[in-house]
Amino acid sequence: MSLHNISWRNLLRHETILAIVAVILLILLAFQSSQFFTGANLLNQGRLMTEVGLVAIIMTFVIITGGIDLSVGSILGLTAILTGVFWQNLGLPLVLAACLAIAVGTFCGFVNGFVITRFGVPPLIATLATLALYRGLAEGISQARSVRGYPEWFYVLGQGSMLGVPTQLWILIALAILASILLAATRIGRSIYAIGANEVAAFFSGLPVNRTKIAVYTASGFAAALAGVIFVSRVSTTRSDMGTGLELDAITAVVLGGTSIYGGRGSVIGTLIGLVVIQSLKNGLSLAGVKAEGTAVLIGLMLIGAILMTTVLNKRRA
Amino acid sequence: MRRYMITSLLALALSAGTSQAASTWTGGDDLPTNPLACDGTPAAAAPVTYDGGSPTKAPDRNGKQIKVVDVPKLVGIGYFNSTSKGVMEAAKDLGNVSAKTDGSTKANIDDQITLIDNYITSGVDGILFSANDPVAIAPVLKKALAAGINVVGYDADAQADARQWFVNPATPNGVAKSLIDTLAKEIGPDGSFAIVTSTFTTPNQARWISEMSAYQAKCYPKMTWLETVEAQEDNILSFNQANTLINKYGSDMKGIIGMTSVATPAAADAVTQAGQCGKISVVGLATPNPMKPYIKAGCVKSAVLWSTTDLGYAAMEALRASADGTLKPGDKTFKAGRLGELQIINGSQILLGSPAVFTKDNVDKYDF
Amino acid sequence: MAAIQQSAVLTGKSRPPRPLLSRLVSDYGQEFVIIAAMLVLFVAVGLYNPRFLSTSNLNTIFSGNAYIAVAAIGMAMVIITGHIDVSIGALIGVLATISGTLAVSGYPVWVAWSAPVILGMAVNFIVGWLVAYARIPSIVVTLGMMSILRGGLISITGGTWISGLPKEFMIAQWKPFGLPFPIIAMVVLTVLAAWWMRNFPFGRSLYAVGGNPEAARATGLSAERRVLAVFVIHGAFAGIATILFATQLQVIQSTVPPNLELTVITAAVIGGVSILGGSGTVIGSTLAAILFATIGSALIFVNVSAYWLRAVIGGLILITVLADMIRRRPAR
Repeated sequence: MSLHNISWRNLLRHETILAIVAVILLILLAFQSSQFFTGANLLNQGRLMTEVGLVAIIMTFVIITGGIDLSVGSILGLTAILTGVFWQNLGLPLVLAACLAIAVGTFCGFVNGFVITRFGVPPLIATLATLALYRGLAEGISQARSVRGYPEWFYVLGQGSMLGVPTQLWILIALAILASILLAATRIGRSIYAIGANEVAAFFSGLPVNRTKIAVYTASGFAAALAGVIFVSRVSTTRSDMGTGLELDAITAVVLGGTSIYGGRGSVIGTLIGLVVIQSLKNGLSLAGVKAEGTAVLIGLMLIGAILMTTVLNKRRA
Repeated sequence: MRRYMITSLLALALSAGTSQAASTWTGGDDLPTNPLACDGTPAAAAPVTYDGGSPTKAPDRNGKQIKVVDVPKLVGIGYFNSTSKGVMEAAKDLGNVSAKTDGSTKANIDDQITLIDNYITSGVDGILFSANDPVAIAPVLKKALAAGINVVGYDADAQADARQWFVNPATPNGVAKSLIDTLAKEIGPDGSFAIVTSTFTTPNQARWISEMSAYQAKCYPKMTWLETVEAQEDNILSFNQANTLINKYGSDMKGIIGMTSVATPAAADAVTQAGQCGKISVVGLATPNPMKPYIKAGCVKSAVLWSTTDLGYAAMEALRASADGTLKPGDKTFKAGRLGELQIINGSQILLGSPAVFTKDNVDKYDF
Repeated sequence: MAAIQQSAVLTGKSRPPRPLLSRLVSDYGQEFVIIAAMLVLFVAVGLYNPRFLSTSNLNTIFSGNAYIAVAAIGMAMVIITGHIDVSIGALIGVLATISGTLAVSGYPVWVAWSAPVILGMAVNFIVGWLVAYARIPSIVVTLGMMSILRGGLISITGGTWISGLPKEFMIAQWKPFGLPFPIIAMVVLTVLAAWWMRNFPFGRSLYAVGGNPEAARATGLSAERRVLAVFVIHGAFAGIATILFATQLQVIQSTVPPNLELTVITAAVIGGVSILGGSGTVIGSTLAAILFATIGSALIFVNVSAYWLRAVIGGLILITVLADMIRRRPAR
């Protein structure tokens, strides 16, 4: 119990610092460009960051358990391809095709969890292998063809709005709320922290370690798959190279948000703030006239700087 | 260990079994092809009505200073360096344009879409693009048009109604004819060859490969296509893939076609280092600078490309003209600054001209 | 395995010598598996298409991919200490551009060759310091560094290519004693590194740092200094890999070679270097890098449909990983 309290205090410390940084950043960027802090722009950024956001929220769970999932980008690509293939080549109705594709993506996540728990393969290696395998399956199944020409109503998911807010943003908000509650207030949430803090101790305390880990990786596959369908709807086509590099974007957001890569610490709120910081930087810098390569350098510096600052402050405290 | 060996053998056997006998060449797309006549009679261009999009409620930009952004597929390769140079050259000539090139370091649709989206928000007057995917980029370009921004594409098109004009460096069937004719001249009408491309999902390359397949079947039916390999946009990988092809087929392969300005010089280098100059021909699309050493050494007889600088130049001129209103839907020709009159085909495509062929005699005249 | 090596390092007690063969098999089990897999491939594909075994193809496989193996040596060392580096691809891209620029600007060739090694060490000194002393997780530092290097490369070069490299610069095309230089470099460096890690206290202590950092610290080993040193050494290997990489062709792209970091990490990991830290050898990582190159070439030779190439390679990686875990499973 006391471990739980301490970790909350630590978390709060990093999240507050990050939140302050985020606010300062937003103010600075708002001054740099008058278009940054408009409702339309902010909502649009929300739309653009949904795919990374969904994956990053569940990646928080994965990293808290001390693991990692590098295959999310490939699962996104595979799901996107399968949506097109099921709909066009197999002739299934679009809703069924999308659901089936998400089911396959979720199963891919399950396979990750299975390989990690039953075979004892370290998560980095297992998901490195499945990253290659799933991406390869996407390219092979699609034969490098794209599927396009979806019905108009399908685009509402990725390109439309509901009550003035982009459709997919509602999904992101819903998942964020659900995930926060799950992590902070349920038994499975506490198990996740315990597994990350000390897996052996958690096992001997009677926690269902393997089952929880499989559940977490399956959820990661589901998030990536859902993001895949949203992406297809947003760009109105499928490509086998969709989602490349997604895993690193998600991990950056999670780590920036205060989740420790060694496991045992972290929060969904932190990840969300991390997401917001990265997206605002990318958007704000571009509006201020910084080119893409300059933005890349700045984001790299910020990542290292933020974690350095937190580490120094925590060492001072301890 | 025994289990490992058995499983790996099994995997290899299974995978050998999945290889397909392809009727279309690997790497082509599945859109309809339209091969040109073998003897060079130009295709009758049926007049097509304008099919491009238009900006909604564009402000009157005639003669005024405009801000333009050029978003190529990616930055960091010679091809788009030179189109960017062309864009900047036109901007300087025009005098009332401030232009900049901004692209991702990877050929990634999501990055490109996000970039364009940001520029829409920042209030540019014009967008130039070369699309990583014609359909995926359409929603964001339509958003630009709806915001009153002028949109002109070059090199790789988007869906016609997502942009006003597209500067076509050369028609796909024209590129195909040029490459296959050049190849046939060097390896003979019954030679065999392989292709090194970037990725199977790159729309331009896929289109050209399909057209090449159709043209070869029509005009050189005795030629044999061996296989197509992917090499991304990486010259070391292209080099290794070309070497693997040379090793695999030995004297059964008479030629290699490089589909990108990264693949062709790498293939030429592979042929040179393998000592096969003169025995294996290398034909392909390439900017002249990296090809100069191989052309001068006689290892490569010619490289085909359009002037990428002119391509960027024409695109910028077209954008300025449509912002000013001097280039309107329904026009049949377009005067593009120092390039003179350019033909408008297929409704909204501005044709740059025929591909240039770089040989020993003229390669020094070019610098891009 | 890790425990055996650690106890030898930490306690200094010697155990009764086991028969040589049994020692070789248990210490180098993964390496034997990889060699066996390569032999199987060579025989099987060689029967299918004898040109697979031709000198020029073997040259393409070994020489053309030697730079990956050399980079994997440094990466293996980093992973043995329990860390990781995802910026290796971006680093090689940057170093190659610098090296090429020096070469075409008229600097003597040895300057163009030593610059990437020195700069690689300098960059990784920063990374290593942040990891060891500022205690920032290596994945964070190298993720950030990857972004910085990739963006920085385009910002500074504007994306132009470097062509017209002088002939004296192209060391990868030399053939001393009839063997291509990259192969010689790869073999020599691998053997040296493996020997150093087995027989020198500093090298051996890397296993301790990775396997059990607390115990290592308890016996007085300064983990921080070792981690910093490992990253610097890794930077040197990256620099040497860059020389092999940049001198193969007459053009150097100023872009980051796609997926290079994944290939190098996978090679180190499949080669038996445990991501848990504390075991594995650099011989394994070199063999694994060559095995991948062999598989890539083999699949083209046996006409696997090009669209399924990546899936097959991914499947083979997964099989290798599973087989490895089955092999390691302690007797129940």
